[in-house]
Amino acid sequence: MPGAEFKAAKGLIRVELELEEGRIAKISITGDFFMYPEEALEELERELIGVRAEGGAVEDAVRRFYKRTGARTPMVEVQHWVQAVMRAVHA
Amino acid sequence: MMIRVLPMRTDDAFTSMALDEAILRLNATGRSPSTLRFWTWSPSAVSIGFFQSISKEVDLAAAERHGVQVVRRITGGGAVFHDSDGELTYSFVCREGDVPDDIIESYRVICGGLVLGFRRMGISAEFRPVNDVQVNGRKISGSAQTRRDGSILQHGTILVSPDVRLMFEVLKVGGTKISDKSIASVYERVTTVERETGKKPGMDEVMEQMVEGFGEALGARIFHGEPTEEELALAADLRKKYSSREWNWRR
Repeated sequence: MPGAEFKAAKGLIRVELELEEGRIAKISITGDFFMYPEEALEELERELIGVRAEGGAVEDAVRRFYKRTGARTPMVEVQHWVQAVMRAVHA
Repeated sequence: MMIRVLPMRTDDAFTSMALDEAILRLNATGRSPSTLRFWTWSPSAVSIGFFQSISKEVDLAAAERHGVQVVRRITGGGAVFHDSDGELTYSFVCREGDVPDDIIESYRVICGGLVLGFRRMGISAEFRPVNDVQVNGRKISGSAQTRRDGSILQHGTILVSPDVRLMFEVLKVGGTKISDKSIASVYERVTTVERETGKKPGMDEVMEQMVEGFGEALGARIFHGEPTEEELALAADLRKKYSSREWNWRR
């Protein structure tokens, strides 16, 4: 999958994704960040599937993810995920 | 709080990761007390963070060539080279309520044990958020934490005298090629007990100072104990996961 890296204040986020008809069809997120609980990362990936590949829609999905799971990601914020995903969209 | 300290061990990467998870799980069910332990790695190993891609972080051919094991941790964070001869590793398990709920503040409290341990060795160490201990801006220890079912596991490195050249060979460090210059740049960012004190101490000596540091930092009473049969049995079972391709290649 095509991908891109984004360096947050503390933590590298690497996103690989495939688009179909302008939406995220497949996505894989890896990196050296922390997320509590760890299983939540799969929820984030799931939340992003089917989302239109543009900043506002991705941000809404990331916010839904935090709200729904209560996941904690020290030093990594909503905007960091959005930027990492959008960088991969444009890769 | 009372903290059980286990005897120092030397294990392979899969056994060490399994024992950490076994103690975490049994602490969460009230079967194991708060526990501090120290160990070394044999053979040397690379551990990668829970969310990392094994193939992107590790030069697997170089690892194989040097007999370096590769294991995925249960904790997040980055890839770490663990030198069998140059690193002492610690792990600490307690209930979530024993430390602040805020993640960075909980690192500060637990890393406080390391900071005091280093200071006892004459090293002016400081906590550096999120998860490092530094000496004059150079990292001497890095930690990673997870929380499961009301318990916390935090484990991390204590750099005593690691082999930086081998680290460069097995980790894919931003595409940097091994050279005297790149190795020198590591020494600008990283330091070791040997470098700070001018001599290589015994691992048991480092452990002793760290145990004192943890007791003081956490305001805890220390007692010495052995791992229980239950912990060892669960660890033997979990070792299968940590040595499996399915676990290590999941990302």
